[in-house]
Amino acid sequence: MFGLELDRLSKQYPGHLAVDDVSLSIPHGQFVCFLGPSGCGKTTLMRMIAGLEEPTSGTISLNGRDITQEPPNVRKFGMVFQSLALFPHLSVGENIAFSLRLQGRDARVRRERVAELLKLVRLPGFEKRAISELSGGQRQRVAIARALAQEPQEYLLDEPFSALDAKLREEMQAELRQLQAELKITTILVTHDQREAMTLADSIVVMGDGRIQQQGAPADIYRAPANRFVANFVGLSNLLSVEVLDHQTVQLGARVLKVASVADPRTAGQAMLSIRPENVRLADPATGLEDDNVIAGRVTSVRDMGSNLEVILECDGGRLLTVVHARDWRGAGAGDVAHIWLPQDYCRVLAA
Amino acid sequence: MASLGAVAAPSRSRRESVAQAIILSGPAIFLAAFCIMPLVLLVLLSVAHHDEGTLWAPAFELTQYRQLAEPTFLRVIGFSLFLAATSAVATLTIAFPAAYFISRMRRRAQVAWLVFILGALSLSEVLIVFAVQVLLSTSGVLVKTLVDLGVMASAHSLYPNFGAVLTCLVYLVLPYVVLFLYPAVSRLDEEMPQAAATMGASPIRTFFLVTMPLMRGPLVSAAALVVIFTISSYLTPLVLGRPETWTVGVHLSNTAMEAGDVPLAAAQAVLLVAAIIGLLALVRWIGRDRSARA
Repeated sequence: MFGLELDRLSKQYPGHLAVDDVSLSIPHGQFVCFLGPSGCGKTTLMRMIAGLEEPTSGTISLNGRDITQEPPNVRKFGMVFQSLALFPHLSVGENIAFSLRLQGRDARVRRERVAELLKLVRLPGFEKRAISELSGGQRQRVAIARALAQEPQEYLLDEPFSALDAKLREEMQAELRQLQAELKITTILVTHDQREAMTLADSIVVMGDGRIQQQGAPADIYRAPANRFVANFVGLSNLLSVEVLDHQTVQLGARVLKVASVADPRTAGQAMLSIRPENVRLADPATGLEDDNVIAGRVTSVRDMGSNLEVILECDGGRLLTVVHARDWRGAGAGDVAHIWLPQDYCRVLAA
Repeated sequence: MASLGAVAAPSRSRRESVAQAIILSGPAIFLAAFCIMPLVLLVLLSVAHHDEGTLWAPAFELTQYRQLAEPTFLRVIGFSLFLAATSAVATLTIAFPAAYFISRMRRRAQVAWLVFILGALSLSEVLIVFAVQVLLSTSGVLVKTLVDLGVMASAHSLYPNFGAVLTCLVYLVLPYVVLFLYPAVSRLDEEMPQAAATMGASPIRTFFLVTMPLMRGPLVSAAALVVIFTISSYLTPLVLGRPETWTVGVHLSNTAMEAGDVPLAAAQAVLLVAAIIGLLALVRWIGRDRSARA
């Protein structure tokens, strides 16, 4: 296969299984995000790909060739570390030229390539600067450029934007996406920020407890989370406990609701109904409770966010968060009873 | 408000400076009594008049300093510097990798190694020097083993010579240097060498291109420690060396005790102290933070 292939990869630390039986294919040229909370094994998985950790079991192959035993300096996957790991004893230019110096490229080639890369990360003319003179965002870019200098087959980034403020982070994300599209280089980015993963990746690998929880295009993962973990970690989800009646109906308290078809056999009996806040609608009181998938709830709090309102309601089976456009808000306050419409297509049933 | 602040600030800083003066007076008195005073006496002695009968008489003459420029003494200085530099290189070559690997071990193994090294420090210099003498002697275990293995044709003593002096000095200073480098090496960011590896640097090149330069400050300081220790060494070259491998310290002692020329010995000592101060200044200059350059 053309690309990176992980086959049943595990990493056991004393008393803790960091990565548990992970199999994954990353086709050439893709932008993949490993997304998960801290301690989920995403960084360990990336470090095994780079060759910085040895897997306890399983294999890693690149373009069909087994590279599990290859040391990192043979793999030469460009990596941007969370700490950036820029060499303080070298200037910006020397940092970027480090891999070229190792390859024995001559000074003129190195100079040209450094100038080119600095232009790419929008820091032209920074060659002579010391690392200590740079701001956080500038260091970030130098690290990105340094890992690109060797034209790696795989480009690995470990939470590279975590130290930046929100505005700069978004700018850098946009730049990285553009850069990746231009260079068509296989890129793996480790992050705990689901927004970052959603906006950057072609494909997201959601990790939890050392395992892959779900893998797919960002929109698919958002629309159809495979389990409670993913529903909670990627975006916000309302989870209501229900009883599954058949493949399209569930019982919530006294009400029977229609849901998107239940495919997972594990969800028989007690299960969770998952629905995104933006898909929960407040129904016109006139329609009453007779309409399909309308339930009653009591408003517990209303938060005015400007263009939207966040309304929290208490209903059978749990708490429900909904986002209402300010224009549609009829001004109910805490304690009022509201009618809530849960559109069938957005109601997904997950194992409890 | 502004004037209030201006009044308040000096009174607080005055209180602080009084506290500071009290705290620092102890060390200051100690330093004056046991370091500066003897140094002043040493300088006075070095310009005194050498007298065969009374050893010295108060005077101001530079005869002794002129004598320092004699070729024999200059050769001694040169040799001492050479011995110190060789010891520094040899010690760092052993101590730096040792400290590095100890810092990368598991916690328990690290503690065991550090305790072992501290244990080596508890042996007195005299004991070590004479133990090395016994070890290297014709009837010593080392010579016997080498003869048995056929490495040595016949049993003969492995001292006195330069090698014996160097070996013993390195052994003496090694624990200090390992313990000195250990904290710095422990703080080394593990991701720096890893970053170098992902860029294609072999472990050896990583060591020379990344790890060593990052450790420049501690390495230079450690080298200075060895040089200062070695240049003023006395017992080791005396016991394990020949007259041509004697250091300034041995000659200084001979000048004072055997030749009885106390003012000349004082002048030699002044030179030694000056050389060490000069060396420390050099170390500060080399070890300054170059990453902060403009």
